[in-house]
Amino acid sequence: MNKFLLLLFLLFLTTTSQAGMRMGEWGMVMNENHDKLPQGCAEIAGEENITIKAGREYAKEFPGTIFGYSQHEFKFPKCTKVNVTFINEDDIRHQFMIHGLPTYLHSEGMFHMELYGRGETKGSFITPKTEETYLAHCDIAQHMEKGMKAQVLVGGGSGNLPSIPGITGQLNKDRYDLDTSISNLAIIAVLFLLGFVISIFLVIQRKK
Amino acid sequence: MKKIPVIGLVISAMVLSTVALFLYDPSLVYARFFEYTGMPAYQAAPNSKPKPEIPPAIICDEDYPEWRKAYTIGGVNIQASDACNPDNPYEVAAFVRGTNNVIMPVLMRTQLSDDAVIKTNDRDGDGDPDDIIIRIEVVELNGRSPDSSELVPGFEIAPGIKPGAWVFAPKSRGMSTVNRDDLNANHLLRLPSAPIRVEAGDNVTLILENTHYFPHTIHLHGVDHSFENNDGVPQTSEEMTMPGEQHIYKIKPRHAGTMLYHCHVQVQVHMMMGLQGFFIVEENKPNNWVQTFNVGAGKVRKPSVAVLEDYAQEYDLHYQAIDTDLSDMIQESNDVRQLAKSMNRLYDITDGTDDYFMLNGRSFPYTLRESLITVEPNQHTKLRILNGMPDTLSLHTHGHKATITAYDGVDVNPLAQITRDVYSVTAAQRIDLDLYTKDDGLHSYGAGMWLMHDHAERAITTDGMAPGGNVSQIVYRKYLNKDAMPSGQGVNLTPYFTPEYYNREIPSWTLSDAFGFFDDVGDRRIDNYKDVLLVIVLGALAAVLFLLLVAFYGFFRGIAIKLNSAGVNDE
Repeated sequence: MNKFLLLLFLLFLTTTSQAGMRMGEWGMVMNENHDKLPQGCAEIAGEENITIKAGREYAKEFPGTIFGYSQHEFKFPKCTKVNVTFINEDDIRHQFMIHGLPTYLHSEGMFHMELYGRGETKGSFITPKTEETYLAHCDIAQHMEKGMKAQVLVGGGSGNLPSIPGITGQLNKDRYDLDTSISNLAIIAVLFLLGFVISIFLVIQRKK
Repeated sequence: MKKIPVIGLVISAMVLSTVALFLYDPSLVYARFFEYTGMPAYQAAPNSKPKPEIPPAIICDEDYPEWRKAYTIGGVNIQASDACNPDNPYEVAAFVRGTNNVIMPVLMRTQLSDDAVIKTNDRDGDGDPDDIIIRIEVVELNGRSPDSSELVPGFEIAPGIKPGAWVFAPKSRGMSTVNRDDLNANHLLRLPSAPIRVEAGDNVTLILENTHYFPHTIHLHGVDHSFENNDGVPQTSEEMTMPGEQHIYKIKPRHAGTMLYHCHVQVQVHMMMGLQGFFIVEENKPNNWVQTFNVGAGKVRKPSVAVLEDYAQEYDLHYQAIDTDLSDMIQESNDVRQLAKSMNRLYDITDGTDDYFMLNGRSFPYTLRESLITVEPNQHTKLRILNGMPDTLSLHTHGHKATITAYDGVDVNPLAQITRDVYSVTAAQRIDLDLYTKDDGLHSYGAGMWLMHDHAERAITTDGMAPGGNVSQIVYRKYLNKDAMPSGQGVNLTPYFTPEYYNREIPSWTLSDAFGFFDDVGDRRIDNYKDVLLVIVLGALAAVLFLLLVAFYGFFRGIAIKLNSAGVNDE
């Protein structure tokens, strides 16, 4: 019985490694691409190594968030092999997941690295030959919403994504109360008066 | 101004007002008017509005109906389920064997992490593992997104109803949503917090991995545990587990029974947001591989050895309530500091009222999809009941009187056991019931589709709309149709599966009411000479009032001019 299970297991290992998947007690890396060329790329033009750290430590910089990455924007040339070192500094699960990649290279267009706890893993993908901005995030419930969101710009990218910490603003905005301290009110009063006086002045000038 | 036109205008206004009153309802002017003139003419009430189109609704939405049958996976015998939405049998097998003991193809058919449930070492040599490591994460449902108004990850408790909630869930892997386009939560992330089962005498290591943005703990209510670093109370036994941290609870429970676990940080908020679940200690028996998690509660697909000695099947029934004043808070900001302030300091539970009532994380009609108790005649079914609501649960079983065999995990002396049809379960209390389907006029009145619900009537509604709330059924299997739904002689259930029904857009009896007696009333239209005259007279009255205003303006202007020429020098 056990031998049969082992055989099944080995069989399965071979099939999963073909599908580009490594999985264990440490976490998993899914849909890696080390050598398959994206459409239009004649060759792998270059190689880049990046290290991405994930954890609550990186949320400090952005008030109101809880989780974050050491870097929230990545820029790569086209047809470039990117070797990612992903480090998790928390005692919980974190992910680094890129979406929208070509589906003929990555199942569901996804390159996915996940660590079940504190630790480190490596994985690679090859950037396509299109100028595009890809979403990278941690898809654990509310981790992206609370700061674990980044963008990957290939060949200059195709614009920015919303609510990337430190880079772009929210589309569904949070509301904050106005600071009613003297200094803030004074600034508001001065600016308001400035607008008022300029308008009156212009009207008088025109009359003359 | 000349005086005569003003007096004329005033008289006209009075006359027109009187005419208008007479046209509207003469008895307002003179109470006995109709006694002298004869009764008013018949005027038909407005027609009904057309019956609303009932949008097509899916009654049973299951993607994997084959999961309903009985399975044997990795040597684990998994009972069949009659639910429309059955549990994934591969996940059940992984929970029973431990994620470390199942082969990869089984684990790949689940969404569990490899270290979710680790089972090793048969220390007492009785054929089952005794060192159990259980990892739990904290998950938000229906939270806010900074990118759109869509709630993530989504979880509907009833058609169109998505209250914010937090749950304990087994440690999983991959995406929290179904995929990048369907932002509903994957099936492991749901209300209620997953029931946990261990065996008495097990060395249980319960690891809380706080994946949420607030601090949490676990309090093992009623479960035998030592105090230091283990009681889950931030004021006494330990620090809170902050976001990104983990806490290890070590227990070796000596006493078996139905218990409960819940977060003990800001309990009035965290427990009511959903951080509460069954913690069941099963009796120590040989070859007793227990099902560590029962995701979504409901039927236990692999009951323990002790339960199967006395019962054919077992169900976990977790009752919860939601106050939308609290649950909406997490949907109003994405800034955790604002959330902490509103939930800890602005929410006042003493002013709170519950709006939604759930059985196993859903309200009617979704309870029909996964919380039916399906029975055969002459069968003993074990029901474990947990009241997670802040008020007493008055659970009523139609057609059956069940016997209370345990309170709070302690067996009732068999001679003193009570058999009744309303079971009162106070807040945080658990009772075990023996539901015996013997048609003897006492335990059961015979086969049928018998309702089972909280008899505090607000709990059979969803924010006041009935039928809703925690209504479910005890169904004899011959009444189930091929979609695993109960089918009887009652009304068509389709409207209840539409969000429009709970938005109060559909008349409650619309499909039963062929004559349209109770359709919505149309609004009044101008359709007789009196209404025509009334509107014309009101127009005339408005004109007269306008002219009066003009006259007054001229009068005051005249005074102003006189004052100016007398005292004040103009340029």
